[in-house]
Amino acid sequence: MAWELKSDRPIYAQLVERIELMVVSGLYPPGCKLPSVRDLAAEAAVNPNTMQRAMSQLERSGLIFSQRTSGRFVTEDKEKIEEIKKSYAKEISDEYLRRMYKLGFTSAQITAFLDRTIEESEQNG
Amino acid sequence: MDNIMECRNLVKYYPGCLALNSVSLAVPKGQIVGLLGPNGSGKTTLIKLMNGLLTPTSGEILINGMKPGVETKRIVSYLPERTYLNDWMDVKTMTDFFGDFYKDFRKDKAYEMLQRLGINPKDRLKTMSKGTKEKVQLILVMSREAELYVLDEPIGGVDPATRDYILNTIISNYSENATVIISTHLISDVEKILDGVIFINKGSIVLTSTVDDIRENEGKSVDALFREVFKC
Amino acid sequence: MLGKLLKYEIKSTARVFLPIYGLIIALALLNKFFIANNTYVYSNSTNKAMQIAATVSMMTYVAFIVALFVVTLVVLIRRFYRNLLGDEGYLSFTLPVSIHSHIDSKLIVTFMWEALSLIVAGFSIFIMTINGNTMQSFSKFCMGISEVYEKYGPLAHQLTAEAIIFVILSMLACILQIYASIVIGNLSGKHKMLASFGVFIGFGIVQQIILSNVYGGRFGKNIMDGESFAYFMRTELISMIIFSLVFAAVFYFITDWMLRKKLNIE
Repeated sequence: MAWELKSDRPIYAQLVERIELMVVSGLYPPGCKLPSVRDLAAEAAVNPNTMQRAMSQLERSGLIFSQRTSGRFVTEDKEKIEEIKKSYAKEISDEYLRRMYKLGFTSAQITAFLDRTIEESEQNG
Repeated sequence: MDNIMECRNLVKYYPGCLALNSVSLAVPKGQIVGLLGPNGSGKTTLIKLMNGLLTPTSGEILINGMKPGVETKRIVSYLPERTYLNDWMDVKTMTDFFGDFYKDFRKDKAYEMLQRLGINPKDRLKTMSKGTKEKVQLILVMSREAELYVLDEPIGGVDPATRDYILNTIISNYSENATVIISTHLISDVEKILDGVIFINKGSIVLTSTVDDIRENEGKSVDALFREVFKC
Repeated sequence: MLGKLLKYEIKSTARVFLPIYGLIIALALLNKFFIANNTYVYSNSTNKAMQIAATVSMMTYVAFIVALFVVTLVVLIRRFYRNLLGDEGYLSFTLPVSIHSHIDSKLIVTFMWEALSLIVAGFSIFIMTINGNTMQSFSKFCMGISEVYEKYGPLAHQLTAEAIIFVILSMLACILQIYASIVIGNLSGKHKMLASFGVFIGFGIVQQIILSNVYGGRFGKNIMDGESFAYFMRTELISMIIFSLVFAAVFYFITDWMLRKKLNIE
């Protein structure tokens, strides 16, 4: 299944995001070996050079590291992963708050609304 | 030699029509490049020149540093927009034919792809639909381990599912030294697999860029930019 | 690479010629059967139905002989046009093969079929006519020929060799004339076939003009007996061979040059 990519943003940046999310969500746990660039490119249905570029960016940011002969691995540094996870959480929360404020909710209302939603979802799930 | 294809001041003049107007262009090795332009923009003329099916009126075109000839034909795998299959042959004879003439042809690869697309090697080309013929042709072309693949409208006539399979074949066939030049007007379908794009119009190069540069600088897809540049 | 081209050239044309050859030989055998049974001799004793069958068989045979030579010409033209200037040209001209090899392979295979067609036609006549009487006159004819050879030795051998070379060369020149006409006719936008035919006629006229200027009046100069005519022919054939060679080379050059420089497949 090809990855769904937006058409108005650079592809490599979207690939970086997708892989970060896969690592953060535990699909690729710390120390796990990643598929080859070619396989990942085929899976995502993108150009291998673009995938390569995304990988280089992830290497620079330290989320993955490459061993010359055996391929690429997810970092063992759990703090690093946690840090990225938090930055995503922050981004999502900011976005949520921005939209809720736009709808005219106050901070207190938002907190109450969130509490109730969490309660409901726990009951259902 | 870092460019697989290079042209300098390339001019092609047909009686009563200037098909290419002093085109200078270089395509580096190891990339997948889209040659994009409206109908009659000179795409096919440029592609025919790369394959030695036409001779330039003036200027120069070099494939891997050589003028098109027997040597360059050895390393270029070309898919024309026409179906060129002899109708007296069956698919198996056709693969034998390719195997006989091209040293880089991999029969096992061809048979694997044929099976994948449900084409019987015993089928005669005469009885095939246009779409199936196009698939066979593409399989033959992609089963070569060429240095340059020149694909003229490779996904035009096939259904979306096959389209995905073809694009996937192009990606997974990719090797670091191989270059793919794809001419197409179905930009949104190929955009994700391209490194760079060349916009051509009325025989001149309008723009060369990478896909991500376009997205970064213009904030829109290549497809959207194309529609803007070539607005009627 | 020429070998591989020849292989596919033969493969693609053999499926037309071999069945016709087979049919012609079969019909010749059938005719032979009727002839041997005197079916053609009208008398009360012969079966009417057999007579009709024999006539039909003979007419079919003649039709096939005519067809054979028409087909040879058609295949020669169609194969060249389709495989090089039609859609198939996209493949032919992107094979790592020189233009020379393309022309050579087509020329050689066409010549092969022309020669084979002649042999098959001759052989089929041989099948039909062979019996005690014809064998006798045939062996007489052979003896006559060997007498001539004994008497004139080198002259007869040379004459034969020259005649064979001349026939082969003029066949090749004729094939190449058709090729050159097709590639030039192909330049015209519409009516390519008509244009090619016109070019072919034009080539013919030019050849006639050249030859009649060179040979004009030379043959009828004086009445010669057989022997001096043979000596005369020995030298004349050499010049004719040279002319065929020149024409063939010119047509080859035109075809090659046009395909190299002016190729434009639609």
